[in-house]
Amino acid sequence: MLRKKLYILVAALAAMAAILAACSGGLSEEDVEERAQELAAERTAGAMTEADIETRAQELAEEMMAESAMMPTGERLQAVKDRGKVICASRNDVPGYGFLDAGGNSVGFDIDLCRAIAAAVLGDPNAIEIRLISAAERGPTIQSGEVDMLVRTVTWTTTRDAQWGNYAQTMFYDGQGFMVRKDSGIESALELEGATVCVTQGTTTELNLQDFSNQYDLNITASTFEDTEAVKAAYEGGTCDAFTNDRSQLAAIGSGFDDPNAHVTLPETISEEPLGPVVPHGDDQWFDIVKTVMSILIYSEAYSITSDTVPTAKTGETAIDRLFGLEGSFGQESLGLSDTVAQDIIMAVGNYGEIYARNLGPDGINLPREGSRNALWAEAPCTDCPKGGQIYAAPPR
Amino acid sequence: MEALIRALSYKGIPLWRHVQVVQWTTQIVSGVLVVVLVVWFFANIGNAIQDREIPSGFGFLDREYQTPIGHSFLSYDSSDSFLYAFVVAFVNTLLVSVVGVILATALGIAVGVARISGNWLVSKIALAYIEFFRNVPLLVQLFFWFYIVVELPVWQDSYSVADLVFLNNRYLAIPFLSPSGLVGALVWVLVSVGGIGAAIFAYRRLIDREVRTGSAAYPILSGFAITFLVGALAWGVLSVATGDAPFSITVPNPQEPFGRVEGGFVLPGALITLMVGLVMYTAAFIAEIVRAGLQSVSRGQRESARALGLSGMTALRHVTFPQALRVIVPPLISQYLNLTKNSSLAGAIGYSDLTNVAKTMTQTAPAVSIFLMVMIAYLVLSLTYSLIGNLYNRHIRF
Repeated sequence: MLRKKLYILVAALAAMAAILAACSGGLSEEDVEERAQELAAERTAGAMTEADIETRAQELAEEMMAESAMMPTGERLQAVKDRGKVICASRNDVPGYGFLDAGGNSVGFDIDLCRAIAAAVLGDPNAIEIRLISAAERGPTIQSGEVDMLVRTVTWTTTRDAQWGNYAQTMFYDGQGFMVRKDSGIESALELEGATVCVTQGTTTELNLQDFSNQYDLNITASTFEDTEAVKAAYEGGTCDAFTNDRSQLAAIGSGFDDPNAHVTLPETISEEPLGPVVPHGDDQWFDIVKTVMSILIYSEAYSITSDTVPTAKTGETAIDRLFGLEGSFGQESLGLSDTVAQDIIMAVGNYGEIYARNLGPDGINLPREGSRNALWAEAPCTDCPKGGQIYAAPPR
Repeated sequence: MEALIRALSYKGIPLWRHVQVVQWTTQIVSGVLVVVLVVWFFANIGNAIQDREIPSGFGFLDREYQTPIGHSFLSYDSSDSFLYAFVVAFVNTLLVSVVGVILATALGIAVGVARISGNWLVSKIALAYIEFFRNVPLLVQLFFWFYIVVELPVWQDSYSVADLVFLNNRYLAIPFLSPSGLVGALVWVLVSVGGIGAAIFAYRRLIDREVRTGSAAYPILSGFAITFLVGALAWGVLSVATGDAPFSITVPNPQEPFGRVEGGFVLPGALITLMVGLVMYTAAFIAEIVRAGLQSVSRGQRESARALGLSGMTALRHVTFPQALRVIVPPLISQYLNLTKNSSLAGAIGYSDLTNVAKTMTQTAPAVSIFLMVMIAYLVLSLTYSLIGNLYNRHIRF
């Protein structure tokens, strides 16, 4: 009896050890330093030519890359292809961004960006897995690299760029605002002196609120909640005087109130909130793929190509033909994408304008786009630019 | 040499079946394995943190926190350091835990005793209470209380008792003592605590005398009388000596335009929700523990107590309960630990407990370091409960 237990224990320990061993590895810093010093010593001894040194340095660099514990360039694309789906960390509780439709499917602006990536690398927009995470889990999730992309209304800040992952592209310009009940008679956020304000946790929202409160000496009390449903109930029930969040989310959440017209968003915007997809640190190719896909979405709109008008034969317009893989190249093969990747993407999810209209525009939560920062920077070719919007990406060529 | 020869010519039970050899080998091998694994595990975490450049370290602790904390018992300002903010949040959790434990114990004992009461109705009500609160997940219960509190009137239409007590969906505000002068207040508190000590001493002596002589000595009454007399006397003397009463009563006074309260003592709605949820849930478990304890005392003990002429309550207090404590205390401590750990659900209903604040902190400081601190904080709290509980347990053992 005892012996049997013992065998099981030893087997389990051995299995754990094997797993741990598989996770570790890599060239330590000391190793690298030692090798570099060797190199320098040989060089001073004059035994090596310049060419030799270069080769050795190259070898060393390659070795470092190969043995690094992080996913080196190119590996994530292969991993995604082997897996057969793209894993995105997102949400399902905010209409317009990430939500469940009546059929139980994930829909929304963020979800569509994930679908565009799946269409680009796998040819199938539905080959996605949405991993639901809370706001506070965003950092650790993307840091660990367990997901391919984080698209969960994540504000791009320098700290997060340094610590979390790489921000690929701003796809939506947002800013933090305040919502109050109309009957409170409040017309400006500066009137909120001594007020209690509801906040959702794990976002820059709390920091911005404190900064704003300090700046204008408002002595605001914050009521911090973990999830959106509770904060909604608390504000609607009147336990807070105001509700602060990104303006787009105020609109989205407000559209779900019992009486959406009883609330008003105050004019002050107290922060910059550029939102966009984030990829894990360490795989430049994957980073570039995501940026390129975002560029394809934006430039398709600039070229007025929608999901219904995707060209499959030459149109004669060089820029359009290049984008849709009918002539020349804009770097697809270096990224491991097919020549006609833009056709796959636009046929599957539509261009930026279509995605916006479907989720955030008239067919979604109805955030005005024309004249806002989220309009295109210019129609291409740039004849009468700028048009006032800020949606812009690296030109595909 | 001789020993070696004896060892080599060993002809007893084969070594692989020798009990002592097998046991020792098992212990040594598994011990080494465990140590190796633990070292390996932590080295690996360290490497992973370094390789992936996940930020860690504790340099952030003296930086300004710059983020709001919803409610705190200690005074807090956004220019305070991370370390102080952490302490503020820990004190919130500590108070929730200590007050929760006291209330849950009181309610649990009452329900547990009611559960085995001879009164059919009382017993069944206790049964219903226990089965309901024990079998619904705590998070669900918290949300239930949360929505009830949200449904209370807004602060402009507070339930109010003579403009002294205010209850609305934001807070419960009650009149409270506020010290007039620091010295007077401190002296009065110390003297009063001394009075309570004297009362407990008198209670013990009087109980002893009751047991010895068999005639009533009114221990409880005397205890309260001593406490009250000492308190009142000290109050009077201090009032004359300092020319001012040691404490004055402040009345809560909600201010326009946002209902912030001045004076009195304010319990935020989220804290009330959390306390009610935790206490109701934990008390259900404690009630079952108390019932089990009381029923473990043999029937003979109760019957003897009755035969000696002790009334039902007296028999419970002096005969059944002290014996039941042996059975009750160890699982009771587990429930205290559960309550403390469960208080980390506070963030769901918007109360700023340690876990909730820590989650916010991870936005501007390394998550690994913060949660390491959080784990240690809970561990310290729980181990303290265990220590106190075990000491008490040793004290009542016989």
